[in-house]
Amino acid sequence: MSEAVRVVIVEDDTWLAEHYMRVLRRSGYEVYHAPHALAAIDVIDQVVPDVIVLDVLLTGTTALALLHELQSHEDLANIPVILATNLADQIALDDVASYGVRRIVDKASMQPEDIAIAVRSVAKP
Amino acid sequence: MEAAKGNNNRGGSNQSDLSSVVVAAHELKSPLVLMRQLALDIASGKLSNEEQRRVVDQLVHVSEKGLRLTSDLTRAEAVQSVLFDMQPVNAISVCDDVADELAGLYNAHGRSLKRSRIRALPPVVANRDLLRRILVGFADNALHYSDIDGVVELHAQLLRDKKLVRLGVRDYGPALSNKNWRQLVRNLGATQPVQARPQSSGLGLYIAHQFAVSMNGRIGAVRHRDGASFYVELPISQQLTLL
Repeated sequence: MSEAVRVVIVEDDTWLAEHYMRVLRRSGYEVYHAPHALAAIDVIDQVVPDVIVLDVLLTGTTALALLHELQSHEDLANIPVILATNLADQIALDDVASYGVRRIVDKASMQPEDIAIAVRSVAKP
Repeated sequence: MEAAKGNNNRGGSNQSDLSSVVVAAHELKSPLVLMRQLALDIASGKLSNEEQRRVVDQLVHVSEKGLRLTSDLTRAEAVQSVLFDMQPVNAISVCDDVADELAGLYNAHGRSLKRSRIRALPPVVANRDLLRRILVGFADNALHYSDIDGVVELHAQLLRDKKLVRLGVRDYGPALSNKNWRQLVRNLGATQPVQARPQSSGLGLYIAHQFAVSMNGRIGAVRHRDGASFYVELPISQQLTLL
């Protein structure tokens, strides 16, 4: 039996994070949560996830700072990142692709299962 | 490190009015987005009974948060043109009201709002409703910035030399960066919403400032290594000393 795909959710709204976790666990993913960027670095370092779901406007520091940090670590730089954000209409995928971002999901219009679909689309088989 | 502002600059322009509307719209977007996701989750029929009860509870709290914001916005607009009743107010009982009002919300987040360092205080000159709204706003905000399973504290203390009472909310979460702190200090008394923390639009601080100024008070903030305190200072009532 193959190991479950590990997903780290970096989202400071704990109830939205809980919602993502419910949806992803239903789809069979192993899910971890970090409420802010500093906690995320620890969790990502520990779990070394297959996919990161990242909110853009985070408590303490922004997602970009976290993306910079991830890019500076060889073992973490290639983890695909999904941005789940209210600012989807203001961010072009081409502008953030060099930071490992593979998908941008618009929180305002997404369906609950979209987060699982996005994870499936970027997770390596 | 501490910063406070209490200037009474109520000047406005169409441009700043428009900015305020944009910020208000942005601020309301988060609870609406969450409510939509939770509602869709319930509609999916995939939740257990226990999960469904929890999600319904969250929906209620999130909608109440949104409603508080719209009510505060209306009130903040009104304080610029209407005089409010000012009277001696027992600040401790307002803290008690705030803790009781938010107990359910904090409990739903697995956190607690505690009253600490609150001793006997003289009454302050205030409008009870506006003071309650300021503290509810601070405590609501602190919930977002406190660590999971964490405690948020309501403080009240007498500043004897200034004849003021300071009522504050202390959170324990990620420290504010120097950049964010400088921005916050610059903008505590701004006449339109300004960003106070990365995730924040600053609307809450703007509203609190409007309410505080209308009561001849001021708001301020203290940065700690492990979080921040936001407070309002109000003059103590001299009424009893006149008897």
